[in-house]
Amino acid sequence: MKHLIAEFELLKTRLPAGVESSLVLPCLRRIQEERGYVADSDIDGLVDYLGVPRIQIEEVLSFYTQLRRKPIGRWHLQVCHNVSCSMRGAEPILDHLARKLGVAPGQTTPDGRFTLSTVECLGSCGTAPVVVVNDTYHENMSIDQLDALIEGIA
Amino acid sequence: MPELFINGQLVLAEKNQTVMQAAVANGISIPYFCWHPQLSVPGNCRICIVEVEEEKGDNWTDIACNMPVSEGMRVLTDSPVVLAHRKAMLQLMLLNHPVDCGICDKAGECTLQDYHFQYNGAPSVSRDAKVRATKFHPLSDRIVLDNERCILCSRCVRFTHEVSKSHALGIQGRGDHSLVRAVENGRFEADPYSDNVIDLCPVGALLSRSFLHKARVWYLKATPSVCPGCERGCTVQIWHRKPEWKLQALDPRQNTSIARVTPLENSAVNGPWICNKARDLARIFERPRAEHAMLSGAPVALPVAIAAAQRLIGGVEHPVALVSSWGSNEELAAFKECLGGRFASFVKQDCRFEPGEPTEDHLLIRPDKNPNTAGARKLFGDTAPAFHEQTDLVLVWGEGFDFARLPCGAKTIFLNAYQQPENARADIFLPVSIQTERRGHYTNFEGVVSAFEPCFPKDPSIADAEQLFAALAAPPEARV
Amino acid sequence: MSGTKLLMTFPVTATSHTLADYRARGGYGALKKALTQMKPEEVTHEVTAAAVRGHGGAAFPAGRKWAVVKLNDGQPHYLCCNADEGEPGTFKDRWILEHAPHLLLESMLIASYAIGVRHSFVYIRGEFDLPYRRLAAAVEEAYQAGYFGERILGTDFACDVAIFRGAGSYVCGEASALITSIEGKKGYPRNRPPRTTVRGLYQRPTVVNNVETLANVAEIIARGAEAYKQVGTPKSPGTQLVSISGHINRPGVYEIEYGYPLDRFLHEDCGGVLGGRALKAVIPGGISTKVLTGAEAESLTYDHAAFEKAGSSLGSGGMIVIAEGTCMVRLLQVMLRFYHHESCGQCTPCRDGMGWLHRIIDRIVAGQGEPADIERMYAISRANDGTTICGMGDAAGYATVAILDKFRDEFDYCIAHKRSRLDGRLEVHDHA
Repeated sequence: MKHLIAEFELLKTRLPAGVESSLVLPCLRRIQEERGYVADSDIDGLVDYLGVPRIQIEEVLSFYTQLRRKPIGRWHLQVCHNVSCSMRGAEPILDHLARKLGVAPGQTTPDGRFTLSTVECLGSCGTAPVVVVNDTYHENMSIDQLDALIEGIA
Repeated sequence: MPELFINGQLVLAEKNQTVMQAAVANGISIPYFCWHPQLSVPGNCRICIVEVEEEKGDNWTDIACNMPVSEGMRVLTDSPVVLAHRKAMLQLMLLNHPVDCGICDKAGECTLQDYHFQYNGAPSVSRDAKVRATKFHPLSDRIVLDNERCILCSRCVRFTHEVSKSHALGIQGRGDHSLVRAVENGRFEADPYSDNVIDLCPVGALLSRSFLHKARVWYLKATPSVCPGCERGCTVQIWHRKPEWKLQALDPRQNTSIARVTPLENSAVNGPWICNKARDLARIFERPRAEHAMLSGAPVALPVAIAAAQRLIGGVEHPVALVSSWGSNEELAAFKECLGGRFASFVKQDCRFEPGEPTEDHLLIRPDKNPNTAGARKLFGDTAPAFHEQTDLVLVWGEGFDFARLPCGAKTIFLNAYQQPENARADIFLPVSIQTERRGHYTNFEGVVSAFEPCFPKDPSIADAEQLFAALAAPPEARV
Repeated sequence: MSGTKLLMTFPVTATSHTLADYRARGGYGALKKALTQMKPEEVTHEVTAAAVRGHGGAAFPAGRKWAVVKLNDGQPHYLCCNADEGEPGTFKDRWILEHAPHLLLESMLIASYAIGVRHSFVYIRGEFDLPYRRLAAAVEEAYQAGYFGERILGTDFACDVAIFRGAGSYVCGEASALITSIEGKKGYPRNRPPRTTVRGLYQRPTVVNNVETLANVAEIIARGAEAYKQVGTPKSPGTQLVSISGHINRPGVYEIEYGYPLDRFLHEDCGGVLGGRALKAVIPGGISTKVLTGAEAESLTYDHAAFEKAGSSLGSGGMIVIAEGTCMVRLLQVMLRFYHHESCGQCTPCRDGMGWLHRIIDRIVAGQGEPADIERMYAISRANDGTTICGMGDAAGYATVAILDKFRDEFDYCIAHKRSRLDGRLEVHDHA
């Protein structure tokens, strides 16, 4: 992650002085954006750069659902199954995806293309059901629209 | 100095105290798991909740450990509301706690057991399976962690951040899948204070591997002692089998060995902590012992060796003594009185530090790895040992002397507790007792004097140095 | 249409979120007024006089929160805008972030001026993508226009803003957990005392305000408190952005003037219940608020006092409409699964209680419930009432108790007959 340090330094310009610890989450997010996950060597590099205890970074990586220490599929399909989405058809969508891809939520297809996850409320209840593909919200999803979406990205 | 009322009793508190601190200082007990007087307040166990009375009847409850005292406040620690709450908290804490008491080392000194009997006593009302987690997770080579027993009080984590400063423990994950874990770079393994988390743990989640399944604590007795590992002289408790509970074992050593070592709280020296070297005192004390007096390597009865030593001492002109920095104040005083006039005496550093042993740190560990250098130097000064051409006798008391440095032609009298090749090469060898076989005092590097008590009986063929010095100083015809 | 508007006062277009459009609407005029005509204390006084209450769920009067921060106490103060919006059913702050980011930024500048803040933060949930990009772009526009940085509008006032993205944790929407997350750690809420306004971010006085609460500040300063209070009711001045979803024909974000009748809002403004069905229940302000029966909801006006009297609250404005035919047992199951997943795990009642509640409801749904399970759920909810580090434990308890109280027959049926009386349905379909 050393090549990202210049970018990290820019983050500091709008922060108060001496709050290196605050950079932990932004740096981890940026590292993950690039690598797809956070590697052990990234953790070591971040410890050197920020001077925080290594355990703090390990804890943070284990606490936040969006951060991961292992790679996942190229396309991360995240289906919200909270209240409003379940009331507007999230469960049939989830079943459909699981059958179509042949994986259970939490798993990745053997060819490494798709990872299926269930997630909690995404703040998009008015356009339920919602599926997030990598970072993008796909709202008002029906099974047909999902099939078309998957055709499109496959 | 705010005045408040706890259960109607007037309590004088200090200005920035919490209700918990004020209660503890006044002998009023409020149950707690996560609170500890030497650590920060996380307020997560929620068992110390107390009720505060308000005039208009709108009483409120909150945790006592984070509640600042205020003038005139009326606190109730045993009201129906509080008792009901404690039962509820214990129910929740025991919800997933495995019923391991029968095989858990902590039984008998477990806060959860104690509070369950005192405040709850009811069986679980759950009929759901308990959440399973890792058991026997090796947190380090020395400590085993059972996550199912863990109540996530975070004392161990806070200890490594605030006291030992290794920052080596943390809590991974979240919710009821949270797990205490050590940092992945091995810093916990290298933390010389790691074992304090075993004492801190209120339940049987963190256990000592060396003590694992060795003994039930109620069969053991804790004898106060002083760790000889360095000049800090932390006070400790040495646990060993109670005489009335001795095992009918073939090997008598099972009843005369150290089961474990824990801190003896001491505000003047070590607070409630000790380092791992103190935990491993058995390694130091239970090395093979020298059991027989010898003359040039030939075993003889103790009185024979003493008589030979008396004659030798009586006949030399320039004797030098190397005095043990492991000697107790009493033994050192006896040497000074009995032999100090005859011998040019120097204080010897019995122990150097082992490779890899920490030399000094911010907490307890000191560079001088001997318990009573201060006591010895007070009597014998701090000049480095020196021989000259006319030195005709060297009396070495204790370990750590390099016999290659012996001046040619000098005789040797060697007093040692442990088996060493040099024992057989001394002209006169006298086996002596160790700290756990007698009482005495050490003076630490700051001048604090601490006492140790005997744990085990001494073998009759072994001498107590204190009596030995008197005997050695007597003229040869005197009987021992 | 649901009363006077204060925030949703312009048509949403492809450019309405830009600085140019915002300025054309009079944007940053309130900031100029505050910086050049008012002292910081006067700004706080105005916000207090306007009696605006927090829009994040707790409804605490914003001015009173600000007033705890002592100006000129020789230490830094911080302002954190809570854009974590994780309460299920809530998506109204998103509207402001996507369509009126400059309204938020101007308000944050005014707030920073009022309470002596040099470094402000927006904590935005990690999942929000477009709202984040719009906000980030607005921040850059604002910096370039000189609204952030040194010597703002030619005055001595200097201020920076940093956007912090969350990473998937509902509990980080709790003010002290949000602060701890900004500090680079797990989102663990903190015990009070000390309040965050006394010792918060980096142990300094910190005000955490919801996006919408802050968005009102520019309006209050622009119009003045008295004019602001002409909108809404005496005890609930102003408006609320409501996100409505579930079994409703026209879900979305609406601005309701406080005092507006709820039945009119539901049946007229939002097009009524899906398929013309009867209204079974309404979760008024995010799942952490107590459910109201359809009849109860239809009898209320939308304001704090009316909802409190009915034993519920406006919460985060996340309204979920539940049609006749929905299985409340399964609904509670989804909610308890959520709380279990999101519990930070620090304190005993929530950590062990949420898991227990979840396991019990799973068993009931699977047809393995027993009558004692109801009392267990009540007892766990009681054990979480006022005993936890943060409000999440209490909220889960209240939500559970309200559903059990009002729909007890469905639970009794499910336990006795080992299946849901309504086939476990959460969706309702319109069979024409």
